[in-house]
Amino acid sequence: MSGIFDREESFVDGEIIVREGDISREMFILQRGSVVVTKNVDGREVTLAVLGRGSFFGEMSLLESLPRNATVRACGDTRVLILEPGSLLLKIRRDPTFAFEMLQHMSQRIRDLDERLVALLGQRPAAAADERRSRVVLSSTSEHTDGESPVHSPGAGV
Amino acid sequence: MITTVREERLLVVSDVHLGNPLYRARRPFLEFLDFAADRNVSVCINGDGVDVIQTTAGRLTCDLAACSSRFASLSQKGLRVYYVVGNHDAVLEHFLADWGPLRVVPFLNVLSGEKRIRIEHGHLYDALYVRSPRLYVAVTVLGGLALRIHPRVFRALTQLNRPLTALGNFGKGLFRKNKSLPACPIPGERIAFLESAGEIAKRGFDAIILGHTHHAGEADLGDGCRYFNTGYWLEAPQYVEIDHGAMRLKPVFGEDNAALSGTWSRARGSWARMRRVIV
Repeated sequence: MSGIFDREESFVDGEIIVREGDISREMFILQRGSVVVTKNVDGREVTLAVLGRGSFFGEMSLLESLPRNATVRACGDTRVLILEPGSLLLKIRRDPTFAFEMLQHMSQRIRDLDERLVALLGQRPAAAADERRSRVVLSSTSEHTDGESPVHSPGAGV
Repeated sequence: MITTVREERLLVVSDVHLGNPLYRARRPFLEFLDFAADRNVSVCINGDGVDVIQTTAGRLTCDLAACSSRFASLSQKGLRVYYVVGNHDAVLEHFLADWGPLRVVPFLNVLSGEKRIRIEHGHLYDALYVRSPRLYVAVTVLGGLALRIHPRVFRALTQLNRPLTALGNFGKGLFRKNKSLPACPIPGERIAFLESAGEIAKRGFDAIILGHTHHAGEADLGDGCRYFNTGYWLEAPQYVEIDHGAMRLKPVFGEDNAALSGTWSRARGSWARMRRVIV
């Protein structure tokens, strides 16, 4: 069911779909299987999310033209629909509820990050630490580049 | 707003057009809601459940009041009534959402068994509605006038539309890039709706359920994905039964696997009774 501006691609278990730091601009929608989103934090790999069917990732690199913020690996046999740069608007034109779902997921992620920020500020009453922490969190918020389904893991970015 | 839910069992109907004086769907629809409650199954009304374009306020109030108690009893049993907004009831979205028992959504993603199912009314894929909403409403009002003359006039117009649609589908098929999509197997259904369903299906759905077109039927979208349309309640109403991922399009009345015994023509009532309602 591939179109002119999108294509489908399959990945085997453990195969890397997106690598942190890569400069690529495609967006991915999970048609089958699942993926694990990980990020390198101080030299160790931290799992941010596990995404399932219908979830999408990579949209922030497509929207902001920034390098990938995390690594995404296939978990089992996985098939994704790949939207090339420039095809997002065409996809939205042909499938308008996709835009609604993207906004819904991003809104949920902002809410989740807000809650984490409030919790973090509550845990660290010292003003200096608060300021430093909030700067870090706000900074990471703006760097998130991908999405996920709220069913699986709200609030994690790629 | 929660648009993704897990429901192992769900009954989906569309285009009930409650309030429309000639549809006479209230009594059979109430029976259908009782049928769902008896079997402990949640219900999804996939758009145009309420008709605010072709109705009178009195009739609409009467129909909604009758349904209200059924919706409440479904809720009391822990069942859900999802209401997907359509084009005939879009202006009522907030009213319906505040009403209480209904969960109003623009579309619904249902997880059932291993299947992922999209339920959507489908008016967003109607070229006339998207390009010229005012013209669309005008045509709908004219359709309402035809209904007021006689249901047969309305049906004749619908029948007239079928060969035109078939001709349009044939012409479009000649130039279609996506040759993998089979020819439209549902009489009267525009191929554009199947193409739109195919576009949605690319996002990892196993089945797409639309309404809006009033042409009940099912089709294969390729790659194991199914397309369903639940038709409308002016004649031979049908519903989709979702049961742990298995899906079937069934008649509401009359056949062995129907939800309700009796026939639709008897349930619908005679033209004389309808005329009394209008006059």
